[in-house]
Amino acid sequence: MMRGARVAIWFVWLALIAAVGWGVARHLQISSDLRDFVPPARTADQKLLLDEIGKGPGSRLLLLAISGAPQDRLAALSRGLQDALSHERAFAQVANGGNDLAEIASDLLPYRYLLSSTLDAHRFDAAYLHAQLQQRVEDLSSPAASMLEPWLKRDPTLETLKLAQSWAPARQPKLVDGVWFSDRGEALLVAETRAAGFDPGAQAAAIASLQKHFASLPGAAQAQLVISGPGWFGVEASRTTRAEADRFGAITTIGFVLMLLLAYRSAVPIVVTALPLLSGAVVGFALLALIFGHAHGITVAFGFTLLGVAQEYPLRVFSHRRIGIETSQCVRELWPLLATAIVSVCIAYLAFFASGVAGLQQLAVFTIGGLVVAGVCTRWLLPLIVPPATRDMAATPGLARAWHFLAHLPRPRWVPWLVAVAGVLVVAFAPGKFWQNDLSALTPIPKAELQRDARLRAELGAPDVRYLLVLHAPTSEGVLALSERIAPQMRQLVANHAVDGFELPSGFLPSAATQIARRAKLPDAAQLQAALQQAMEGLPFRAGVFAPFVADVEAARKLPPLTPEQFERSPVGARLASMLVQQGDGWVGLGTLSGVNDSAAFDALTKTTGGAVHLLDLKGSTESLVEAYRHRILIALGIAALLLCIAVTLALRGPRRALHVLGPMTLATLLVLVVLRACGISLSLFHLVSLTLAAGLGLHYALFFERRTGDEREDLRTLHATLVCVASALLVFGVLALSSVPVLRAIGLTVALGVAFHFTLSVLMAPAEHLRGER
Amino acid sequence: MPRTLRSSRICNRRILRDALIAFALIASCGAFAAEPGLAESLLAGIAKTPPVSTPFVQVSYRGVLDRPLVVSGTLQWLGGDRMQRDIDKPFKETAKIGEGELSVQRGSGDVHRMPLARAPQAGAMLAGFRALLGGDVSALQQDFTLSAQGGSAHWVITLAPRTTQLKRQLVSIVIDGRAHEPRCLTVTDANGDSSITLVGAMAEAGLRSTAPLESALAARCRNSQ
Repeated sequence: MMRGARVAIWFVWLALIAAVGWGVARHLQISSDLRDFVPPARTADQKLLLDEIGKGPGSRLLLLAISGAPQDRLAALSRGLQDALSHERAFAQVANGGNDLAEIASDLLPYRYLLSSTLDAHRFDAAYLHAQLQQRVEDLSSPAASMLEPWLKRDPTLETLKLAQSWAPARQPKLVDGVWFSDRGEALLVAETRAAGFDPGAQAAAIASLQKHFASLPGAAQAQLVISGPGWFGVEASRTTRAEADRFGAITTIGFVLMLLLAYRSAVPIVVTALPLLSGAVVGFALLALIFGHAHGITVAFGFTLLGVAQEYPLRVFSHRRIGIETSQCVRELWPLLATAIVSVCIAYLAFFASGVAGLQQLAVFTIGGLVVAGVCTRWLLPLIVPPATRDMAATPGLARAWHFLAHLPRPRWVPWLVAVAGVLVVAFAPGKFWQNDLSALTPIPKAELQRDARLRAELGAPDVRYLLVLHAPTSEGVLALSERIAPQMRQLVANHAVDGFELPSGFLPSAATQIARRAKLPDAAQLQAALQQAMEGLPFRAGVFAPFVADVEAARKLPPLTPEQFERSPVGARLASMLVQQGDGWVGLGTLSGVNDSAAFDALTKTTGGAVHLLDLKGSTESLVEAYRHRILIALGIAALLLCIAVTLALRGPRRALHVLGPMTLATLLVLVVLRACGISLSLFHLVSLTLAAGLGLHYALFFERRTGDEREDLRTLHATLVCVASALLVFGVLALSSVPVLRAIGLTVALGVAFHFTLSVLMAPAEHLRGER
Repeated sequence: MPRTLRSSRICNRRILRDALIAFALIASCGAFAAEPGLAESLLAGIAKTPPVSTPFVQVSYRGVLDRPLVVSGTLQWLGGDRMQRDIDKPFKETAKIGEGELSVQRGSGDVHRMPLARAPQAGAMLAGFRALLGGDVSALQQDFTLSAQGGSAHWVITLAPRTTQLKRQLVSIVIDGRAHEPRCLTVTDANGDSSITLVGAMAEAGLRSTAPLESALAARCRNSQ
């Protein structure tokens, strides 16, 4: 074919890729909801856990610390930031200690007699009121008098204060200049975002607006704002991961181009080899858009990684071209082997489809579609644009010597068996956990930041993030009633030091039944007036000073019980909203606990409530979720491995040859495990994905080394192609192994190790008589 | 005969030293300027090494009450920002101020705790007594503007709040004294309420009436006899 036609086809192909890519980019939504990558919840606890992770109150809290300026400046900044953010839609609530609890409670002031527990034990009769008023006289000479005095006329029994105190967090940071300060002298704030904690896009927007507001405050330039919390970590994690991936991507691209130039002494492979891969990628995306409508960011990143196998197809073609022979002829000769490789790898990737996890299913669709398209493009389109060979790669200097060296390496037959047995022993008995169930171990957040988060959390008295008390009932009223019922038992658990503190939904809003019972105890205006008259005898209060109190009680007698919906609209309502959630056709109450010392002590509570109340161990549930998830993937991988064996055996027409391919693959995978285990690395999902990718690459090496060509020069071309492929994989993944991001490091290390072992073993375990030309 | 010596405004941050200078100015500008060492002796007379303890009588005038409230007991300055007030009559109460917190226990009941920022009166009381008993003006600098008047027969130190937050609660704290002895601490709240606390010899002498008029008590504090 003429040069002009080749260039024209190249342009048309590229334009097609660009057009499809553009169309897909317009329609495909890239989502960032991590729950796409979490297996479907099986148990109620796991379901609750996923809701909690996504929308739960804990995950929506950003902890803020301002430092680096004099105390009064910090306090002013804290107030300024709180004021600015309270007008910002992204935030549901911003607290800095400055919001007076009594002020907050005043919003619910008319309901105080229904909300406070005073009337459970007392009545507003002369005796009780006299005792209360006597105490108020004493309060008036106390150092705290000015705090109580504004409330006295309306609320002589101090119900507002009792409510404010019962709603206050058990532990608060100290107040300096009216706002929270840490022991290290930082001004502290807590901001609750409206967006779910694990929605990195929305969290990033909220954090950006927070930082912008802070920067625009006067004097902000001299102070530092530190942000912490799950939302921040999510944003930070994706930012550092993307930054490192971009940086390494640039390095490896340059390295890759240089390597191709060196290997082929021509720029043509550089502009040509990318097309099948790109075609596969855009078709993969188009499939995602058609089938799912959206793709997760992680799917895209992983997908490109796994699709990297397809880079080998055009490289093999370039290595195997011969002078005077049409490229299409070479491709035709290679195709049976390439097709076997593609089908086998697709079978392996099918395992991800069977996992039942949305994100991994997307991954399977993307990679399988992409690989098939890349293979088809290599077979039928690539020959149209590749110019005839001017150089035979078999003639590459040093290649023949390398072949001779590899061919004459000693190959004792017992070595693989010994290595296999030793490997199994190491994998089985190496110290350390085999599986990494703790997802947090994979976070790219530096330890120092995690420690700072723990410190701020402790200073702000944020509740334990590991345990939750879960209450089940058919209605929200049922949850509140149940919560009231277990409160005495909870207090007993605190007294027994099983737990340091707790907060129940009924602590904020009593059940309607309780509110009605309290309302029924309120005296009418005449009764109350008479009781007050009697109560004030002998006390120094001015006559008529408590008229507002009488009016308030009368008003409360006509109030309907406060509903959760009403309460949740009040300034403290967010707390209840997070503790009272609808799940399925029932309601769930969430009690927060601090300092759980004896989790077994909660079993009795579960028993007495007939299982309606139980302790939820978030860490345990996550781990069980991850475990179940891995179990499914392992089963899927096992089935895929079996299918792969059958496919390879069929393609090679017999188990003897198949063993030469599957033997090195299995042993190399085992050796990667040995290295990881010997280094004390526990395996995560990312290691499994990487092992699969490495096995896919290894399959290529083994298939090509096993090939009987009967042509020494063709063998040299195979070696050339394999060396280029191995070098490019080592380059890409070796660089990734240096990453500071645990996930990237896990992928890079595993694949790089895998490629090295697969190549070495493919050579060493290939039938020696082929290599030495003893055919 | 007492005459106005000088109003000294201490705004500087190098607190203790400036406080000394200020007291020295009060003394040196006045009638006793010729006697070197009076400022020092005045300061030394006021300043005591904690723990310091004095009897007290507090009379509170409150808008919601039709007669003043009188309580008496012992005040102790334990050093730094820690003090304790024990009421013996007409009821028993122990109030402790320390580490930014106020805790109040009445009789043998529960201990109520609250941050000092929510109880500015307690903060004012601590500030006043730190100045009085400790001679430690330094700690007051951030929250109050200090001014002083008078001579050895009667002197007055006025603490005016500097921060808006304190101003919302408090108009002033005025300390009356004679020679080496503080006599009265008058706290005026922003809502018009006030309390006068007699300390030392004044407290020992007690009240002349069960419900003294505010003006009469204030006059007694100023009285130089």
